[in-house]
Amino acid sequence: MNRIVQGMGIAEVLKTVRGANGYYVTNTARDLSQSDYKNRILLHTDLLAAPSREEAGYFSLEITGGASVHVDILRKQVDPFLKLELLREKMPQTMFQTLCRGVNLFGYRPYPQNVIRFVVKEFAKYVDVWRVFDFLNHVPNMQAVFEEVQAAGKILEPSVCFSTGPEHTNEYYVQKVADILAVTGQDIVLCIKNHGGLGSPKRIGDLVDAILQKYPGMVIHYHGHNTDGNDIGRIVAAVMAGAKIVDASDHAFTGYYGPPPILTVIQTLKEYGRQAVGLNEAAVMETSEVLRPERKYYEYFESQFKGFDPTVQIHKLPGGAMGSSFEQAVKGGFLEKMPEILHEELPKVQVELGNYWSVTPGSQILWTTAVSNVQGGERYGNCSGDLKNLLLGKYGPFPFYQPPDWIYEKAFGPDWRTVLAQEGGTDLIEDIDLDKERKTLADKLGYAPTEQQLVTYLQHPNDAVNFFRFEEKFGKVYVLPPSILFRRGGFRLGETLTFKDHAGKEHVIEMGPMQESEDGAETNVYLNIDHHQRHFVFENAVAEAGEAKAIKLSKKEIEDLAKAGDVRTPFTANICEISVKEGQEVKAGEKLVVLEAMKMQTPVNSEVDGVVARIVAKVGDAVQAGDELVKVTPVA
Amino acid sequence: MKKKILIANRGEIALRIIRAVQELGHIAVAIYETPDKDALHIRAADEAIWIGDGPRCDYLNIDKVIGVAKKVAADAIHPGYGFLAENPDFAKACENNGIIFIGPPSEVIQALGDKVTARRIMQEAGIPMVPGTDNLTAGDAGLREALDFADKYGYPVMLKATAGGGGRGIRRVENEKQLRAELPMARAEAKSAFNNDAVFLEKAVINPKHVEVQILADKEGNTVHLGSRDCSIQRRNQKLVEIAPSLIQDKALVDRICETAVTAAKASHYVNAGTVEFLVDRDWNFYFMEINTRVQVEHTVTEMVTGIDIVRTQIKLALGKKLAFCQQDVHIRGFAVEMRINAEDPQNNFMPEGGKTVSVYRSPGGYGVRLDGFVYQGFTIPKVYDSLLVKMTVFGFSWNETVDRLRRCLNNFVITGPKTTIPYYLKLVQDPDFKKGDFDTSFIETHSHLINYDDQASEGSKLAHLIAEIHYKRENPYAI
Repeated sequence: MNRIVQGMGIAEVLKTVRGANGYYVTNTARDLSQSDYKNRILLHTDLLAAPSREEAGYFSLEITGGASVHVDILRKQVDPFLKLELLREKMPQTMFQTLCRGVNLFGYRPYPQNVIRFVVKEFAKYVDVWRVFDFLNHVPNMQAVFEEVQAAGKILEPSVCFSTGPEHTNEYYVQKVADILAVTGQDIVLCIKNHGGLGSPKRIGDLVDAILQKYPGMVIHYHGHNTDGNDIGRIVAAVMAGAKIVDASDHAFTGYYGPPPILTVIQTLKEYGRQAVGLNEAAVMETSEVLRPERKYYEYFESQFKGFDPTVQIHKLPGGAMGSSFEQAVKGGFLEKMPEILHEELPKVQVELGNYWSVTPGSQILWTTAVSNVQGGERYGNCSGDLKNLLLGKYGPFPFYQPPDWIYEKAFGPDWRTVLAQEGGTDLIEDIDLDKERKTLADKLGYAPTEQQLVTYLQHPNDAVNFFRFEEKFGKVYVLPPSILFRRGGFRLGETLTFKDHAGKEHVIEMGPMQESEDGAETNVYLNIDHHQRHFVFENAVAEAGEAKAIKLSKKEIEDLAKAGDVRTPFTANICEISVKEGQEVKAGEKLVVLEAMKMQTPVNSEVDGVVARIVAKVGDAVQAGDELVKVTPVA
Repeated sequence: MKKKILIANRGEIALRIIRAVQELGHIAVAIYETPDKDALHIRAADEAIWIGDGPRCDYLNIDKVIGVAKKVAADAIHPGYGFLAENPDFAKACENNGIIFIGPPSEVIQALGDKVTARRIMQEAGIPMVPGTDNLTAGDAGLREALDFADKYGYPVMLKATAGGGGRGIRRVENEKQLRAELPMARAEAKSAFNNDAVFLEKAVINPKHVEVQILADKEGNTVHLGSRDCSIQRRNQKLVEIAPSLIQDKALVDRICETAVTAAKASHYVNAGTVEFLVDRDWNFYFMEINTRVQVEHTVTEMVTGIDIVRTQIKLALGKKLAFCQQDVHIRGFAVEMRINAEDPQNNFMPEGGKTVSVYRSPGGYGVRLDGFVYQGFTIPKVYDSLLVKMTVFGFSWNETVDRLRRCLNNFVITGPKTTIPYYLKLVQDPDFKKGDFDTSFIETHSHLINYDDQASEGSKLAHLIAEIHYKRENPYAI
């Protein structure tokens, strides 16, 4: 059978894979969730699938990492560590795999070295295979993670991110592999990370071949997306060229922008005389039988637009960004501009910004820049903070060439050379005092946090604290199926909900009436919990005067107001920083507020010299275009 | 003949009395202050007279209450408990105005209300008493008397206001230094609280059981007791939970206490309903404490185990009837427990929750449950009175059955709006010591962990809360 099981050492795993007559499959459930369901597939669903997934005999199950760690606490209300513990109980043999963004870990910005090492150490207790990448293929950005994974005795899978274009030659990638091996040594699995599903089957086959020519024993793991509908073709080409592990997932949930169906891969390659090693086809089918009834509860999170998108070869957006870009276009009201953004502006921006790899967080920079260029009227007229950091080399050096001078001038003004000289290059991010952070968290929670809680907090401080408080209030909610947790429009009167809680205790909840108090201030929701009547009181939101007359300001009006010191938010965003205090003197160009949208941070600067008269917004607020942020009284 | 009876009280006891009055076929007249304008006793009574804006001062105003009684031509006044119930001047004013005071004669109230006089009466009757002093002499002489007493009997000692009652005006003194410091304070406090600065000392009985006996007596001197009650579960000398009969295993001891109570009542020429309170120490010595000359909050438990309607009997006795039964007719059956469900937040030092509106009121029912309350859904609890909402009295044939029923009833009792003592009691009735019936006055203090309840703690409740929120919000905030 040659099945790979959890607990094998790296040497044994590599030996088994190399010696196997065929290829292995990684079930990239995490990527399926992220690319086609905005990362919302719940632990509840994964637990349903766990027994048959365990039976199936995958090389690994990718079930954590990427954006999922953040979404776990932010949207799914599940502890990312508890998730792994519970899955491990049901899947003792299957290796768990993660996707780690190197220095950016599971987030969007670089973390201090000691945080990276601490986070990797804690996750390495549960995660057997570590796929690590950097959107600039800058090896030093991955080094700390490499070291910690190897120190923990886990399987390291460094990635070369793949893209297309004149610079993206076999020579370049083979050299990149050499750079990686120089740091990691030979005992690795090498990932070709094709997050956009770019290139033809032939191109991928050639690349695999080129790497294996240079490094004959290399275990290559091909990761692709099915955005253009042709990843099966690329997988076949990769395996025929000698790739040993490929990514796919369960057909009951396959969509358009994530991995292709496992069963199709197996069936196709069989005809080519290649066997999926250790794989139990019946268990693969069984998993989809179990999952199929659940899919309808996730419909809301699927992309607004369904269907393969072969134009990905032009715009190169990674699978995970497809659904969210269309969602943003719908919410932002610029859907009609999508062809222009995707097929004209985005390719142009990619070339201008160095033709690097469109993957987190680089893909978000490309996307927001393209949108801003089309929406803002003036190209590069309003550079985001993240774009500026990219231009300054804060994420690492540009792989092929630096963007043209005029973009620097747009971003930093006529003195851009001085700015670049003074501020350019990667910053050494200073270590933070972990004991101090632990204490801060303890103060916020009112009890001593676990190391795992600290890990979660260090990555996403506000969201982590909110999540821990949520759990105190509502308990462990992963026990709720999507039919309950994701119910929209409320429940039916008399509807009966059953589930087992974290301790395994069965509960029956029967929905009762909902009644508003006489003065309308409160609403009582009645229900029977395990046949005991209970009711919960909710304070009704007071409709604010402003809500009724939501005035939509034009971009021009927002700019004019800003010039008068009435600073409004230019787009839908969350406030992530208030940089000034009331009464503070500010100069034109000085940062007032930092907004976050689409994971990108953008500063809002003062247009005038003056004094901060009033701060309307607060950190964490979700604001709409035109909402008041800060009032500055201009100096006459 | 139909009589008009004015109820000089409010809240649950006003309702309790109104019910008895109406059952007897008499006319019930309620009085109320402005903050009580929405109170239930006004609606239940046959007549309701507004007596002023209060708060409290009009219910306490003897002239006003007597004035109203005369105006409506009331034949009798029932004072309930608290307010004017144990004020001998009020009883006297009734007597002087030809109104029947439903309670003992004013001289009896006077004598028993003065703790020192009461002690003297009891001493003469041979009733066992905690060693104590007479009223302390004013100034340094009084301090010397106090110090001498404490030297003789040892610390701790209780420093009590002669005119105090209901747990007020009592201090426990641990040592000489504290005695010197507290004596003047106690005097000042007694002066302002009871308009009488007389204080005296008693030897402290450590962690006693509080056992009391219900007495009924007619004008001919026929006196019976209705058995014992245990009121040991107290918080800062305020009773929370009362039980009838006492759970003391030694029945002969309980009988002796009850007989002593009758002797004490007779010694004080007691008439009408009253309560003789005793302390029982760890060596099963019992000491007379005081006689309360009113109907007690906790009279319900005695009614449940004897079947005798105490308030009805009070009215009949006051109207000149003889006791219709003798001691042999009184039988105690089963157990009854009263829990005072107060609008208080036990987790915030029992802070009153007055001013809040009862948004949901769903009470338990079924066998063995009695509710004496005055709140209803939509009622806003006045801030200016006490926090008692409803007394839940539960009866059972055995102690175990009673405790089971208590738990069931508390589980089924839903009051929202104000926080209440319900979740605290729910924890209490599940405590092993309570279940065993093993408690003394230190119970609340030694079982302080009972305060650590979380009425929404269970995982099922928490998840239900989330489900309720998803239901309420419609646009599910967790499905974005």
